[in-house]
Amino acid sequence: MDFELDLEQKEIVKAAREFAEGEFDPQLAFELEKTHTFPADIRRKACKLGFVGIHFPEEYGGQGYGIMENALIVEEFCRRDSGIGSAVVLSDFSSEVVMRFGSEAQKKAYLPKVASGAYISGGGYTEPDHGSDITFMNTTAVRDGDSYVINGSKTFITNGGIAQFLIVLCQTDENASPPYRGQSTFIVPTDVDGFEAVEIEDKMGLKMTSTAEIYFNNVRIPADALIGEAGKGFYQVLEFFDESRVEIAAQALGIAQGALDRTIAYIKDRSQFGKKIAAFQVNQHKIADMATRVELARLMVYKAAWNYDKGRIDPTLTSMAKMTAGQAAVYVADEAIQMHGGYGYIMENEVERFYRDAKITEIYEGTREIQKNTISSGIVGRYK
Amino acid sequence: MKKIAVLVEHRQGEIREITFEMLGKAHQLAGSDDEVQALFLGDTSQKELVAKVSPHAHTTLAVYDAALKDFEPLRYGSALEAVLSNADCDLLLMGQTAFGMDLAPALAAKMTMPFTSDVVDIEILDGGVKATRQMYSGKVSAAVSLKEAPKRLLTVRAGAFPAEDVPEVSGEVREIAWSVDGDFAVRKFLSYIEAAVGDVDITQADVLVSVGRGIKDADNIPVAQELADALGGVVSCSRPVADKKWLPKERQVGTSGKTVKPRVYIALGISGAFQHQAGMKGAATIIAVNKDPKAPIFSIAHFGIVDDLFKVLPALTEKVRELKG
Amino acid sequence: MDIIVCIKRVPETAEADIVLDAGKKGIDTDGMVFSINEWDNYAVEAAIQLKEAQGGKITVVSAGPEENNEVLRRALAMGADDAIRLTDPAFEGSDAIAMARILAAAIKDIPHDLILTGVQADDDGFGGTGVALAEMLGLPYAALVTDIQLDGDTLTVHRELEGGLEEVTAVKMPALLTIQTGINEPRYVSIMGIRKVAKKEIAEKSAGDLSLSGDDIGVKGSLSQIEGLFFPPVGEGAEIIEGTMDEKAETLVKILKERGGIA
Ligand SMILES: Cc1cc2nc3c(=O)[nH]c(=O)nc-3n(C[C@H](O)[C@H](O)[C@H](O)COP(=O)(O)OP(=O)(O)OC[C@H]3O[C@@H](n4cnc5c(N)ncnc54)[C@H](O)[C@@H]3O)c2cc1C
Ligand SMILES: Cc1cc2nc3c(=O)[nH]c(=O)nc-3n(C[C@H](O)[C@H](O)[C@H](O)COP(=O)(O)OP(=O)(O)OC[C@H]3O[C@@H](n4cnc5c(N)ncnc54)[C@H](O)[C@@H]3O)c2cc1C
Repeated sequence: MDFELDLEQKEIVKAAREFAEGEFDPQLAFELEKTHTFPADIRRKACKLGFVGIHFPEEYGGQGYGIMENALIVEEFCRRDSGIGSAVVLSDFSSEVVMRFGSEAQKKAYLPKVASGAYISGGGYTEPDHGSDITFMNTTAVRDGDSYVINGSKTFITNGGIAQFLIVLCQTDENASPPYRGQSTFIVPTDVDGFEAVEIEDKMGLKMTSTAEIYFNNVRIPADALIGEAGKGFYQVLEFFDESRVEIAAQALGIAQGALDRTIAYIKDRSQFGKKIAAFQVNQHKIADMATRVELARLMVYKAAWNYDKGRIDPTLTSMAKMTAGQAAVYVADEAIQMHGGYGYIMENEVERFYRDAKITEIYEGTREIQKNTISSGIVGRYK
Repeated sequence: MKKIAVLVEHRQGEIREITFEMLGKAHQLAGSDDEVQALFLGDTSQKELVAKVSPHAHTTLAVYDAALKDFEPLRYGSALEAVLSNADCDLLLMGQTAFGMDLAPALAAKMTMPFTSDVVDIEILDGGVKATRQMYSGKVSAAVSLKEAPKRLLTVRAGAFPAEDVPEVSGEVREIAWSVDGDFAVRKFLSYIEAAVGDVDITQADVLVSVGRGIKDADNIPVAQELADALGGVVSCSRPVADKKWLPKERQVGTSGKTVKPRVYIALGISGAFQHQAGMKGAATIIAVNKDPKAPIFSIAHFGIVDDLFKVLPALTEKVRELKG
Repeated sequence: MDIIVCIKRVPETAEADIVLDAGKKGIDTDGMVFSINEWDNYAVEAAIQLKEAQGGKITVVSAGPEENNEVLRRALAMGADDAIRLTDPAFEGSDAIAMARILAAAIKDIPHDLILTGVQADDDGFGGTGVALAEMLGLPYAALVTDIQLDGDTLTVHRELEGGLEEVTAVKMPALLTIQTGINEPRYVSIMGIRKVAKKEIAEKSAGDLSLSGDDIGVKGSLSQIEGLFFPPVGEGAEIIEGTMDEKAETLVKILKERGGIA
């Protein structure tokens, strides 16, 4: 049993921190936030330094580390800035589906380009009528000679408007029973005919990240765009979520830590009633609660990542980590605003952004309630 | 009787101010029967420079040689060794300058002289030498003692002692013989490059809004520019800002930048390292904004605000604009 | 071209609240963030740029406790090839000249064309270790270097003088340069770099390994000694303007008006 990061991991944390401190400038973040602009330059630099796709194998342009090291980078980036950090770390979203289940040719064609920064990826699972429940998809992919033809739509797709390709979960057999046995995943380049992305502009947070509605109108893709076997899509996606939950948990952890950092600095600086507001015990206790939740989240996120890297799939643990970290982010960011008072409510203050960016971590990659379902079914078993 | 020697620093035909600062301090340290010496190295064409320092030293020891025309530490070091074997001084002072920093540590190592650098105060007590120097960019002072030895060496911070009112004594000048001996071709002075002239001359500005590392990023410079515009002033900076190319080098204030004497100098997020102070302490009014109440800049500022510069800047800019309508 | 770079690990004190330690000869570094001395970081980058252009090998050397491996590993990850840490309880209390002696003892046996150090260290601000080291190794040198051009076995360097003036000087290799900030833009540490050096061992050398006797190093081998640290007298200091931000700004504007700060 050892609770310390190893030497290399500590170096990765330091490198990520130095990069984030050097590049994620608050003034720039404020501008990007207001103009809903993706931090393309920063991401390019991050890719060049090996931060993006650190967990891809070397032969596919990655650095051969595990999701633990990826989580450390995600945490540091989001800690420095929830907006820029999230946008950068989500830029390889769902590439793992290709990495884990794709063919050699698919991995070679896509992963190095994501790691190098040439490509942004995304994953389309949610549909207007299917969110928490993706056991049936309205989006269909029908085999036609040596291609598939896709029709339907997806919603809330991260990077939808800027990605070069998306992993799309489709129903390939509408009559399968249960229906999720008739699902398959495909790699869909975004420049194909019939593909349309409509940006969802007005959202609470993640303003520097693209979130889009996607329409497939007779989109024709070659048959070899199928990932793995037909009929296995649902299983692939569930397995992918086990991995991606850890990344989102690390995002939440970073946001929580970042909001906490700023709050500690603020209360030591702000005076009311003739003393620093840090002198009020109620504020000290709040910090104690916040710091404890952050530490709790960190322990769970690291354990979940470590366990995954040991090759053990444990949805109970990853769900616990994501739920805990997401709650920590929302709680800490909320208290952060509270302790900043009116200044915390103003967009120019970073905690305002952290607050808005925290919430999504309790929604995507499975809502808090869905995590509880996963946890309880892992522990209690399935009762109906 | 003790003897305190000062190495004369000159460049481009001028005695540098630090020389007089050191001579002044040497006189202050010297008792009535002690001796202040000036050590001069140069070529014969620079003899007239000696006349400027010799009235301020009891003895001036000079070496004239064509090889000493420009400062080159290997030659200067060798000539200085020759002088020191004649000078029998107990304590030698040099400047903590581009000249002294390039020479003193080597000399100390070569001649096994007890040495410390960049001192801001010197005391001689019962033959013992104690110096005060600063650490952690001026946030902490250290009392340093030099061990007993025939000769001891200190480099002195520019501006630490006043250059005015250096006593006049009837000094004699003695020439010391030295000739080039050794392989000095391994280091050779080639030329000077004068400071670049920029679009704005900060030395001419009445009001300077000066930013330091606390400004965090190039993107924030415009915030300072807005205040400067409102005040009718110019933006200048500390060294890290110029190093990172957030502003051109010509805007840098300090020993390796410009020396400025504006009516008002507003230092924003500048800690106040002595190299910076040296360039701006002549300003008539200094206003410092820094979130660290212990930042050394507050020791020379007339007015201070302990707060985040990003809060002060917009508030101040707005008030100035209001005033000007 | 084989290059040796001497690097130091120092606490970040620009924004920190400094507390003296119990003996008042040092500062309490508990909870402080440490990093590579800023000047040394530029020196490492300068070495890497020279290596990229010329080939050769870079060895980084640091004297100090095990924590110094952090800065050594960081330099390796940036692009240095080898790292050596000089460590011995006997080194404690060495002044800068004694420290140069320790470095010289280690460096003399490593093949080198060029040695780089920072102009000075953030903590003690001594600004002389590199030049003393050059003297001990019998090398030509130049301090305060802001530009390096290579021409055969001669380096044409710019030295920074006062007031923005620069000096162009030729130095024949093997030589030592002390590097000034701003000479380049130090790169970030990359994950590729960290991975490449993950298995790299850092060699350790003690006083015995370097054939240094107790008379040359530590308190005994140091001709200068810190007697004590204290906080500089505040003097008159600044009149601190208090109040709400609005009041502060109001007061400042008044001062500016009085003192000719508003054109
Ligand atoms: C900014 C953003 C980015 C996103 N990025 C992506 C992306 O890249 N790819 C992608 O595919 N999707 C993405 N999503 C979609 C996200 O994963 C879904 O919104 C999420 O899974 C919830 O689905 P839903 O919105 O349909 O809510 P619903 O499933 O309708 O849930 C509504 C509420 O009911 C609760 N609920 C539902 N079922 C149960 C149950 N069985 N037991 C208890 N409570 C239940 C939920 O917890 C929730 O509180 C993104 C969403 C947002 C907002
Ligand atoms: C040979 C030599 C020559 C040199 N020449 C020069 C020179 O000519 N000019 C020069 O300037 N330096 C020079 N230096 C460098 C000098 O030693 C210092 O390193 C430098 O002056 C520090 O610059 P700074 O004050 O901007 O940065 P720091 O020392 O890092 O200080 C930054 C300050 O900003 C404050 N701060 C941070 N954020 C905020 C905020 N949001 N609001 C308010 N305050 C904030 C911090 O509390 C801190 O005090 C020279 C050094 C050498 C060795």
